[in-house]
Amino acid sequence: MATIHNTIRTDTVPAGTSPPAPARASGRKRAGLGEKTIPYLLLAPAVLVMLVLLAWPALQVIGISFRKLDLGELVRGEVVWVGVTNYTEVLSDPEFWTITLRTVLFTAAVVAGTVVAGLLIAVLMRHLTGPVKVFVQVTLVLAWATPILATTTVFQWIFDQQYGILNKTLVKLGFDSFQGYSWFSSGTSTLTVIGMLILWQAVPFVCFTIYAGLLQAPKELYEAAAMDGASAWQTFSTVSWPTIRPLVTLATFLSVIWDFKVFAQVWAIRGGGPDGESTTLPVLLYLRGIAGRHFGVASAVAVLMILVLVVLTARYLQLLLRTREGDVS
Amino acid sequence: MKRLTKVMAGAAAIALATAGCAGSGGGGSEESSGGPRTLTVWLMNGSAPETLTDALNKEFEGANEGVTVKYEVQEWNGIQDKLTTALASQNPPDIIELGNTQAPSFAALDVLTDLTADVDSMNGGQWLQSLKASGEWDGKQFSTPFYAANRSVIYRTDMFEQAGIAAAPTSRQEWLDAITKLRAKFGSDPQFQALYLPGQNWYTLLSFIYDEGGDIAEANGTEFKATMSSPEAKAGLEFYKELVEASGTTAPKDNDEQNPEQAGIYGQGKVAMMIALPWELGTAAKDNPDIEKNSSAFPIPSKNAGETAPVFQGGSNLAIPVNSKNTDLAKDYLRLLLSDKYQTQFAEAGMVPGASTDLSALDANPVSKAMAAASKNGRSVPATPTWATIEAGQNPLKDMLTAYLTGVKDIDTATTDADTALDAAFTG
Amino acid sequence: MNKTRGQRITLNTAGVLVALVFAFPTYWLLTSAFKPSTAMLTPDYDLIPLSVTFDNFVSAWAKPGFLTHLTNSLIVTVGAVLLSLVAGVLAAFPLARLRFRGRKGFLLLVLIAQMAPMEALFIPMFLLMQDAGLLNKLPSLLLVYFAITLPFTVWTLRGFVQGIPYELEEAAMVDGCGRFGAFRRVVLPLLGPGIVATSVFAFITAWNEFLYALVFMRDKDKQTLPVWLSTFRTVFGTDWGGIMAASVMYSLPALIFFLIVQRKLVSGATAGALKG
Repeated sequence: MATIHNTIRTDTVPAGTSPPAPARASGRKRAGLGEKTIPYLLLAPAVLVMLVLLAWPALQVIGISFRKLDLGELVRGEVVWVGVTNYTEVLSDPEFWTITLRTVLFTAAVVAGTVVAGLLIAVLMRHLTGPVKVFVQVTLVLAWATPILATTTVFQWIFDQQYGILNKTLVKLGFDSFQGYSWFSSGTSTLTVIGMLILWQAVPFVCFTIYAGLLQAPKELYEAAAMDGASAWQTFSTVSWPTIRPLVTLATFLSVIWDFKVFAQVWAIRGGGPDGESTTLPVLLYLRGIAGRHFGVASAVAVLMILVLVVLTARYLQLLLRTREGDVS
Repeated sequence: MKRLTKVMAGAAAIALATAGCAGSGGGGSEESSGGPRTLTVWLMNGSAPETLTDALNKEFEGANEGVTVKYEVQEWNGIQDKLTTALASQNPPDIIELGNTQAPSFAALDVLTDLTADVDSMNGGQWLQSLKASGEWDGKQFSTPFYAANRSVIYRTDMFEQAGIAAAPTSRQEWLDAITKLRAKFGSDPQFQALYLPGQNWYTLLSFIYDEGGDIAEANGTEFKATMSSPEAKAGLEFYKELVEASGTTAPKDNDEQNPEQAGIYGQGKVAMMIALPWELGTAAKDNPDIEKNSSAFPIPSKNAGETAPVFQGGSNLAIPVNSKNTDLAKDYLRLLLSDKYQTQFAEAGMVPGASTDLSALDANPVSKAMAAASKNGRSVPATPTWATIEAGQNPLKDMLTAYLTGVKDIDTATTDADTALDAAFTG
Repeated sequence: MNKTRGQRITLNTAGVLVALVFAFPTYWLLTSAFKPSTAMLTPDYDLIPLSVTFDNFVSAWAKPGFLTHLTNSLIVTVGAVLLSLVAGVLAAFPLARLRFRGRKGFLLLVLIAQMAPMEALFIPMFLLMQDAGLLNKLPSLLLVYFAITLPFTVWTLRGFVQGIPYELEEAAMVDGCGRFGAFRRVVLPLLGPGIVATSVFAFITAWNEFLYALVFMRDKDKQTLPVWLSTFRTVFGTDWGGIMAASVMYSLPALIFFLIVQRKLVSGATAGALKG
């Protein structure tokens, strides 16, 4: 094992860390005027696009959240400032905090499921060969590539009370109580089905990302580990894990953001029902804002959603900002 | 990069123009007549038969020199977002189609052209009352009727015959009797349903409530107060439950007639009746042509023998966005579309025309004949701008139905809760 | 690393099981596409389809505009993916390997940029495109998809670069390569799998986007496949059989794209082994 520790740095994590120390030494030594501007030149296209097409509209959303912007104001081009009215309207709703908590728990469950499943399948995929490997990959890609309109419908059919293949199969297997069983009679059960739908669509990304990370680890390291007589677990924890750890962190972080914002699937399954019990924040944004064309309220909910997300990911952002403070000026 | 520069320039322009995001500015100015002009018309997918629109557009272009009709069929998915952005854009369409329950939400916001002075010249005397009401706000007319449809009971003539039912039911009692006979005859088949009725078919519920003399809400000027806990509304809800229990329907109590699609289930041949729009029979018969031959329809029966129950009328209105640059031309187009010549074609296509009282073309088919018979007694939802939000969101009537049918709430709690939710929505 | 026969069988069985679970909804979609419209939901036990028809594919194919919409979708999607990858690789390298003033600010921008719900952004975006004169033009969609996929692409590629041991680059630099030479010869080849995974994701995100495609493109012949898919819904109900068949046709390009790039997943790894 010693050889491995000597050849590989294990502190590339968390993903938010600044570059490794050696970079600094060699980087600074040769830094000329040209080299100093190079990072900015390389970043310029990305910065430009994000500022114009994401940051600017996002700033406008913040502005709109302090305005009354219904269809009438929008069509007439009126700017009507209303202060924090939109926020008080949203926050004074006793349901808001219930919905926020529900959304957070739902996101946590789906993300945990997605990352664990994605990681396991990625590790498994590395050890597969030939047709089985292609089969697994193709099914993953198909799960991912099918249009949401079709997948949500197919899920509703599978879970249909009377004619769904799931209930019919369970009855065939002898579980007679599933005859006419409704999977959507409670919020928890509805959210579970929605969670499975989202998980099914989200695992492929996490899985392929981690799998790609596994492939990145140079083969020599695995060979060295094998020569050292390392067990499968030791090989994983000393060779694979350091390579994929930043990717796992990153996939978790991205999954949190995405799953938190899922609207189409949640809405399509039961419209946030029964009795509002599967309503999440994006559904609230639709109900309070978009459905009645109260875009000021919609923007306020959007801003609140971003704030909740920042709180949720605070630890990650903190790591990003705090690590090696001295190094990054 | 050129495009990027352009985008940057655009962004800078907005930044300079306003503090936030502004629309394109109000008041469409009239384009000078003469010269080539384009009239943009947005109708929904499936609304008007293609033969009708082709002829209509040709006639309109012939009568107005230099005018081209840009006819664009719109899709249902996402139409609200598309209308929102289109109305706020620099060149909005000149004519738009709005769902009749959506129409008040546009009328109340001053984004449509006031058509009050043009009603008479647009065949106003023959307008369908429920759609006319949907287009009114504050005493003014902001949209015109287009076409409508209402539900009737589509039934299997062969099954009725085998069960010994001589004539289509004309009262609630006869209806329930027919169900009893059907179940006696076919009940041994566990998949048989005398009537397919899902728990959340709130259009049907409205019919029963209207029949009892109730309504969703009572209007006081532009204010609305929900009345679901009135004795009439409760009686309607009770009958809905009675019907669900009597029919032995296995339809889900927590979903509506579209999930799963009831026409598909009727099409499998194990259902004797469904409460549906005429064309749902066409869907059911798609893979089973015999079903169409063996089906007919009767209007939803009233509690008063011999009468038909009032029905919820679904349909569309037509409007001219306030920013249209061709208001006069658009009005001319509406006049032509609402003339008898084209309205009759709607009846021939199986719809209730919005601006013609001549429904004779509907009598050709027994199913549309039943619809026509009930259509004179058509009603719509409260004409409040907030109704659109109720329907697009979590409809309290659906929650009420499920809660009462599944026994989660008793009738008092269910209806009171619905009133609370509706009132909250009405005050927006 | 050699496995025994028993281990191989266990692993492959596990692989097949995973694939079956993941394939089931897809399988259900596929069989639905071959079912008559009224048999989507039946009381009969139809795990294996009871009857097969090609009607749905015929009607989906006959739906006007498939090829036009397919072309539009390919233009905006492939365009956005390529732009995203170029800008993403350019940005990922300095973010992972260099230090410079403003680095953290940029990282924060990338992170927060992904948090805004797209449903709330469409009005500002619409007005922006209108003022830029890009409405009803494919470049507007291409730009939006570029922007939507970029933060994620930058962020993921940065993660992949970080995963590559710095020693490999150092070794190359000792061998006389410059910093960027080392990046090009050592890091880029190893980055192959990461680029593939990222591009597949970006492709699918853009391929499935509906709201912006609907709102930006007015003319029928400029719309994309997700909008085409929604034309199966009319006043008279929804043609579910048609939608299922159309969805199969719709997913194929994404699958083909994956099959083309997935060879890179393997060759990328090999290249890494050779160079490492």
